[in-house]
Amino acid sequence: MLTLVTRRARAQWPLLLSLLATLVVGTTLLGTSTLLITRTSERSVEVAASRADPDDVAVTAYVAGVSAGNARSVAADTRAVLTSAVAPFEATTVSRASSVMRELPVGGKDGGGYLAAIEDLPSRATLVSGRWPRAGAAIREAAVLQSTARLLGLKTGDRVRLGTEFGRSPNGPVDVRVVAVVRPRQDAGWERDPLGGAGFAADPPESTSARPVRAYGPFLVDLGDLLSGGSALGRLEVSARPDLSDPTSRELDRITAALLRADRKLSGTLGDRIEIERVASPLPQVLIGARNQRQLTSGAVLALALIGLLLTAIALALAGRLTTAVRTGETDLLGALGTSRRQLLASAAVEAGGIAVVAFVLAVPASSLLFAGVTHLPPLAGAGLEAAFTVTGTQLLVVACAAVALAGLHILLAAARPANGGRDRRELLARSGLDLLLVALAGVGWWQLRAQPAGAGYQADTVRVLAPALILAAGAAVALRLLPPLLRGAERFAGRARGLTWSLAAAGAARRPQAMAAGLLICLGCAAATFGTAFDSTWHSSQRDQADLSVGADLALTLTSVPVAGQSAAVGAATGGTVSPVARQNIVVGQWLGGPDTTPQVVAVDTRTAGDLMRGRGPDWASETGPLRPPAPITGAPLPRNAALALTGSATGDSPVLVTPQLLLQDPSGLRTSCAADPAPLDGRPHAVTGCAPVDGLRLIGVALPIIGESGVQRVSGIDATLTLPAAGPAGPPWTVRSASPATNQLTGEKVTFDGRRLHLSVAASFANPTPSSRVLVATAFPDPGPMPVVVSAQLAANVGATRGAELTFAVDQTAVDAVVSDIVPQVPSAPGAPVVLADIDWLTRILAVKGNVNSPVTAWWAADPAPGATARLGDLRLGTVVTRDGEADRLIGSPLRASYPAVLRVLVVAAALLLLGGVLLHVVTDMQARAVEVARLRGLGVSRHGIRTALIGEQAAVVLPLLVAGAGVGALASYLVAPLLIRSETGAAAVPPATAYWPWGAELLLLAVLIAACALTVGVAVFVQARRADAAHLRVAS
Amino acid sequence: MSEALLSVRGVNRTFGAGPAAVHALRDVSFDVEPGTMVALVGRSGSGKTTLLNVIGGLDRPDSGTVVVDGLDLGGLDEDGLSRLRRERVSYIFQTFGLIPVLSAAENVGVPLRLARAAPAEREQRVALLLDLVGLADHAQQRPGELSGGQQQRVAIARALAASPRLLIADEPTGQLDAETGLAVMALLRGVVESEGVTAVVATHDPVMMALADRVVHIADGHVTP
Repeated sequence: MLTLVTRRARAQWPLLLSLLATLVVGTTLLGTSTLLITRTSERSVEVAASRADPDDVAVTAYVAGVSAGNARSVAADTRAVLTSAVAPFEATTVSRASSVMRELPVGGKDGGGYLAAIEDLPSRATLVSGRWPRAGAAIREAAVLQSTARLLGLKTGDRVRLGTEFGRSPNGPVDVRVVAVVRPRQDAGWERDPLGGAGFAADPPESTSARPVRAYGPFLVDLGDLLSGGSALGRLEVSARPDLSDPTSRELDRITAALLRADRKLSGTLGDRIEIERVASPLPQVLIGARNQRQLTSGAVLALALIGLLLTAIALALAGRLTTAVRTGETDLLGALGTSRRQLLASAAVEAGGIAVVAFVLAVPASSLLFAGVTHLPPLAGAGLEAAFTVTGTQLLVVACAAVALAGLHILLAAARPANGGRDRRELLARSGLDLLLVALAGVGWWQLRAQPAGAGYQADTVRVLAPALILAAGAAVALRLLPPLLRGAERFAGRARGLTWSLAAAGAARRPQAMAAGLLICLGCAAATFGTAFDSTWHSSQRDQADLSVGADLALTLTSVPVAGQSAAVGAATGGTVSPVARQNIVVGQWLGGPDTTPQVVAVDTRTAGDLMRGRGPDWASETGPLRPPAPITGAPLPRNAALALTGSATGDSPVLVTPQLLLQDPSGLRTSCAADPAPLDGRPHAVTGCAPVDGLRLIGVALPIIGESGVQRVSGIDATLTLPAAGPAGPPWTVRSASPATNQLTGEKVTFDGRRLHLSVAASFANPTPSSRVLVATAFPDPGPMPVVVSAQLAANVGATRGAELTFAVDQTAVDAVVSDIVPQVPSAPGAPVVLADIDWLTRILAVKGNVNSPVTAWWAADPAPGATARLGDLRLGTVVTRDGEADRLIGSPLRASYPAVLRVLVVAAALLLLGGVLLHVVTDMQARAVEVARLRGLGVSRHGIRTALIGEQAAVVLPLLVAGAGVGALASYLVAPLLIRSETGAAAVPPATAYWPWGAELLLLAVLIAACALTVGVAVFVQARRADAAHLRVAS
Repeated sequence: MSEALLSVRGVNRTFGAGPAAVHALRDVSFDVEPGTMVALVGRSGSGKTTLLNVIGGLDRPDSGTVVVDGLDLGGLDEDGLSRLRRERVSYIFQTFGLIPVLSAAENVGVPLRLARAAPAEREQRVALLLDLVGLADHAQQRPGELSGGQQQRVAIARALAASPRLLIADEPTGQLDAETGLAVMALLRGVVESEGVTAVVATHDPVMMALADRVVHIADGHVTP
């Protein structure tokens, strides 16, 4: 038997070679997919971790309420817990701490001050004067903020006594010597300072005093001095940043688990030495999210690999059938000689086993080589997922199993008798009803895909994995059912001709028994290749759509602190394009706070530039936001650069009254910022208001005047305050004045006049209400603009039941804003899938101002058509985080967690094309060989070689071309039906905006042209060779 | 004596070279008169099929001349030889040589299609020939649905379709039983007479030899008297 198998293999080596080649291509594809699903997948999480945003890997322990005696040990233990939690990674730690408030009388009145320490102070503040504090001085050396120094009149060299601590068990006073005056840097974490880096607060939220206390600080000392200096700590923060530059999956698993336990561990370690503790880090969620994303990608890769496996199985079935057909005579002879079925099966098994072993031996290095090659090409190379030639156990197992399973298929086919009678095997599929069953299953798969939840989900469920292969197979099966009637029609048409060539070709195509597997392979191969190409384009298109919508503009700069006057000029110069300030804040709509993942937001932009600025699939934003534009622009009073204003005022009654004016300023671009002046007593004397006009072109358009006095007593004081500008200008439209909202009836008789230089305000203030914020007088250079027209997202409209024309009230920074719904849109740029109110920034700031909130709501800048290098220039400004939609698209596409997706699509397209061409070659060559004698007889009948070639090529073309076209149609249909449903966002939820099928005409036509040309070449060469061989020798063989 | 329809002069044909060379035809010369049926007789490997292939223009002799109906085949190129087979020479193969996907009528119509005959004329001629070979009722059947004798009769009808001057048959009864073979030979003899064609038939069959006007013996590539 072995001799028979060996000799037969020697005689039929071309056939066996093609069988082997098919098996090697299929198992190589599977081996490569396995490596992508395992090795690359594993590595992708490691790379994603190494590329994570620094803020995403930070681990911070927050501790509050530490007694002076425990401060040092608590700090050390906290640091130890964090470093052990992030082990084995090396970590850099930074600590900052602030003491509880101490007494700090200012001008004989109640005041407070506090010590603080930041380990890397020079990177967070700019030295204005003096030198950085040193540790261990006899009198603690301290740095103070510029604003604190100004308010307290401090300068370097001054000694300040911070008195007894507020609260229970107070520690005694401490002295510090001011050695530096510093200015906080932007984007340097000052928001975590108890006073937010402002240097002063009239009534700080963390005051432990029962009385309103004006707080000053921090007095920045060395950390060691603070921890050992007899001060209780109000806050202690220790941040650790592990070095994840080269992590392993096991290490990442360990750190995830350790960080999830860290809070409990810190609590156990610190015990009752502290009042509150918490460990916070986005890192565990980042790593869990990365693993989930990896799982999602692996599922998609598996789904695509399954298509390749299906193609391989069909190609092998074709090869097996052809082998069986070629060996029919031999099998009959062996049977006639008494060879049993078992012996035939044994010989097939020996042959299949040999082929499987050789395929395994070839496919393992081939898949490793292909894998290494693919990883060195975009997008995997760009994602940092380059891999060397590697062989893994899983890969060996999968390739071995696939080789054995596919070889087993060969055995089954070899054991089967070829069908007799010449009925068209293509119709076998139709007759069996298998195609209808496939269509039904594909329909169920498609329905399941459509019905999958829109929310996040990472499980690679069976339906999602099987659906693409099922739908493509069903489409190909249906196409096979349609082909015979088409060919019979062509035959009838060609039969009417006088000549032989076309009628012979048409008859051959229509009547000759065709291999079902060949037809299925050609159709499915073309379908898979076109589907892969269209899916790749659709996926990329969806990533770009998602990026456009999530960024909202060509470039978005998210500010880490409130904007300052003149920022628009700096941002505009850095970007070189159209810019707009943007307010994007969480809001409360009526009573609706939103859900866990659906916090309502307001997005306010400069609607004059919305058409140029806003990106993301949606309506024409210029016309959509047209109705949102505010009335006439605001004139206000011009303020020259470095203008010194003066506040003079008086208050009736015995108790002193203080005001802290907040100026609302507008720069030439329309950006509105506020400037808080130093507290000024209404004592009839002028008080300078400085530092509010650092740039040219500012205009004063509003003033908020919080009135502070001894409250909780029944008294009314007549307040007069005049803000004098340095120079007279046009008075402009009349100013309006009112009490800030919500109305508390503490202010009555509000009046305002402006003569071009003096803004005079008067009001009767009641001090019955103890809340200082209940007495804020607001004067603006514009009237109340009334309810603000807004566009709302469909999700917000659905949640609050809003319709066009409906009235809404929402709160921005606790200020109620009345709005009218102008329109409802599916999505609002920058907030995909969120419940959003889209408004005009000008209108919004007007409403907020007239209600007493002159704080700038601006949180970001958007730019259209930024100049090259804008990102770097904006980064140099250190205003916040810069994101571009191109960068975001690159991030989404090139993310290590998702890069396998396009990579495997490209591998699939190539593999499908190769298998298709291999199948065509196998089929045509075998067919030509089987018909060699017939071709020779045609020569004998006087048909020219040219006529024979034309007839044979026509016959093959009549079969292959419709199948290729049908395959492209099936691929297109699957792309439209399935591809958008398979694309999910990086959270596993449905993509926003929903993915839409994108049919890349150029690429698809090129692919189809290449496939047709390659098939034509294959058929042409085979036919040409066969026509040349059709000579008398074949007739001799036949005879 | 009328001019020979087929004249073979000094034809040599050797396959291979050197010691392994096979001399299939050695200085073969003979003539065939128009309207006669010549039986070419010889053992297997004697050179019968090679000689028929040379006569039919499917093979070229190494030397010598073959003249069919006044045409010297040595002067014809590939297209000329194809035209010769389309217009003047027809083949009947031992294994019938029908195109399996075509019906009996369509197979008979192949030479007429090659001659680009009008469809109506073609259909009429096909019907006539199938009637002549007794297969009018089997016109739409494919070769796989016909018996061996019926297939050979279809092959004969196809060979006659283009009204050839010379009919070449290579052991036309070799695949048939004696009774069917006899019927086929009788048919062949009949159409030679009725259609006035000239036939060269390679055969081992003594009955066929008896039906032939003349018998040409060939042995080891030599035509013997």
